[in-house]
Amino acid sequence: MLLLLASLAFVQYVRTSSSDQNPYLMTDYSRLHPVKVERVLQGEAEAQLIGLVKDAKAKGLKLSIAGQRHSQGGHTYYKDAVVVDMTSYNQVLSVDPEAKRIVVQAGATWEDVQKAVNPYGLSVKTMQSLNVFTIGGSISINAHGRDIRNGSLIKSVESFRLLTAGGDIIQVSRTENAELFPLALGGYGLFGIILDVTLILTEDEVYRESTVLMNLEEYSDYFQNEVLPNPDIRLHIARISVAEDSYFKEAFSKNYTVDRSLKLSDHNKLKSNDNWVAPGKLLFNINRSTDWGKNAQWNLQKHFFVEQSDKIVSRNNAMRAASAFMEYSQPGANDLLQEYFIPLPQFDAFVQRLGAIVKEEDMNLLNITIRYVNKDDEAVLSYAKQDMLALVCLFHAPLSKAGQQRMKQGVERIINEVIASEGSYYLPYIAYPTLEQFRNVYPGYEYFFAKKKDYDPDELFMNYFYEQYGG
Amino acid sequence: MNLKWLIRSQSIMTLAAGMIYPYYLLFLKNLGNSFSKYGLAFAVFTISSAAVSHWLAPRLDKHGVCMMIVSSLGMMGAMLVFPWTSSYGWVLLLQLLMGTCNAMQRMSERVLLADYTEPGSRGAGIGSYHFWTSVASGFAVILGGFLIDWLTINILFYLSALLYGTSAWTIWRTNRPAVPRAKEGSVSEHNVL
Repeated sequence: MLLLLASLAFVQYVRTSSSDQNPYLMTDYSRLHPVKVERVLQGEAEAQLIGLVKDAKAKGLKLSIAGQRHSQGGHTYYKDAVVVDMTSYNQVLSVDPEAKRIVVQAGATWEDVQKAVNPYGLSVKTMQSLNVFTIGGSISINAHGRDIRNGSLIKSVESFRLLTAGGDIIQVSRTENAELFPLALGGYGLFGIILDVTLILTEDEVYRESTVLMNLEEYSDYFQNEVLPNPDIRLHIARISVAEDSYFKEAFSKNYTVDRSLKLSDHNKLKSNDNWVAPGKLLFNINRSTDWGKNAQWNLQKHFFVEQSDKIVSRNNAMRAASAFMEYSQPGANDLLQEYFIPLPQFDAFVQRLGAIVKEEDMNLLNITIRYVNKDDEAVLSYAKQDMLALVCLFHAPLSKAGQQRMKQGVERIINEVIASEGSYYLPYIAYPTLEQFRNVYPGYEYFFAKKKDYDPDELFMNYFYEQYGG
Repeated sequence: MNLKWLIRSQSIMTLAAGMIYPYYLLFLKNLGNSFSKYGLAFAVFTISSAAVSHWLAPRLDKHGVCMMIVSSLGMMGAMLVFPWTSSYGWVLLLQLLMGTCNAMQRMSERVLLADYTEPGSRGAGIGSYHFWTSVASGFAVILGGFLIDWLTINILFYLSALLYGTSAWTIWRTNRPAVPRAKEGSVSEHNVL
């Protein structure tokens, strides 16, 4: 019996000995490229952070800035750098219900913001589908989400205070230090530490959810003719089937339409969406490993979402999707995100190519969701060069060298299609795209990195995104 | 009951405890932002454990087995409630309950171990007791980690509750006073008491 226990322990030791499981190394949500960092420092006070910047400069250390570390391309850490963990710098500083403004420290999460503004009948304009991310992290990647009327996050940022590489705190807005506004926003932590942010809010509203099942080929027409022209549809998300039986054939669309006949106060109690995590997690685990699981997941989702059709939900509750069931901590493999933005006219052709490449390259695609972003090229590294449909693809892949090489090969092929479709891809994820592909998709890169050198000549703020594409 | 059944029931109990305990510590740490708050939760546990010991002590010799059952049932209740706690106050209350259960279990375990062994020849029995409970704990911890990776910590709480329930049932089963229906072979077990 003891021998059995000892062998079991040995098997576990071997199974968990991959470097993605090493607790003494730092990585991000991808668990790829774990490295040793100098130390992780909790951001607590302005004076402390100024001291840190000056100290790091004097000692020639690099700084990386981290929030929830959900980005997947090494944006939040660097070898031998000091990682500034901003999650402890998370106070809501003020809410002004009249002006619909909130001032919040960068380490606060969207959940903190929602809790602070919900009592005033206010809501966030643009954020990701999940509310677990920090504000600082979200504006550094210029996030977007289910809202189809308010553009990307940069639009709802009025100003922020930035701790620069020189150790100064400056106010950045469209009128003050305006050059830095579109650089640090969507700047992936390369221009300084964002301390606090003033966000423009909108009214909380009551929505009626409706889910429509359709053929994938009908989707883009449906979106352009039924969803976009109807101003009462405020949020939208769609899903494409990756199940064997309906692979890239079926899709369903979920719309959130304002219902003015209902009183907000009857529906605006904030709710957790993380119910039934265990069965969901189990099912998602089966989805990762078998075709049968993918079919089961799709059929259940269809059933579940169509069942939910006509559900009443407040805007704040609609903007806090469940996520716990997707968490994956097992060694040696992980779920890796990719996101492709495709202009509406090219969408149908691109999606079919995407489905084919995923099949040909034998990539394990767990789900695809579709969101919409309005054209918004304010940020220098803007992805929304036109009105775009965004395909968020969740892959499951081994973290081994061979497994990653295969992912890279598949993604490079997909990016070629993206480029041919005049689309773009999202930068917070793993640096599979080549330097050439990056430069092709983000023509603002030259200006972006030149300005990085102007504002931070010693390259104090450092991460792997800069190392890989900034050269 | 005899030593064999004590070992069985307590191995199941350690399986339940070992499965949840290390992960329960992580769970608790997440509830409080400071280590002091986390420390307080544990202090409450020890306070209740110590406080009830004086009251339990005189009843141990007569009701040791009963205490063991109540302890496992109490732990089962705590495990079932834990995933539903929504405030630190509740956590402290459960720590109080678990401290009490811990006192009952630890004290009756020692009394019963003494009862079922003879002075001068206790080594083998106690060694066997320690071996099986430790091994159970080892399996439990490995299984627990695996289960959280696949499911959630809440499921682990429920499984642990199930095992605590089983351990209580094991003790109750071997001690029910249904002597008339007992088979020949099992009479000796009852005679021990």
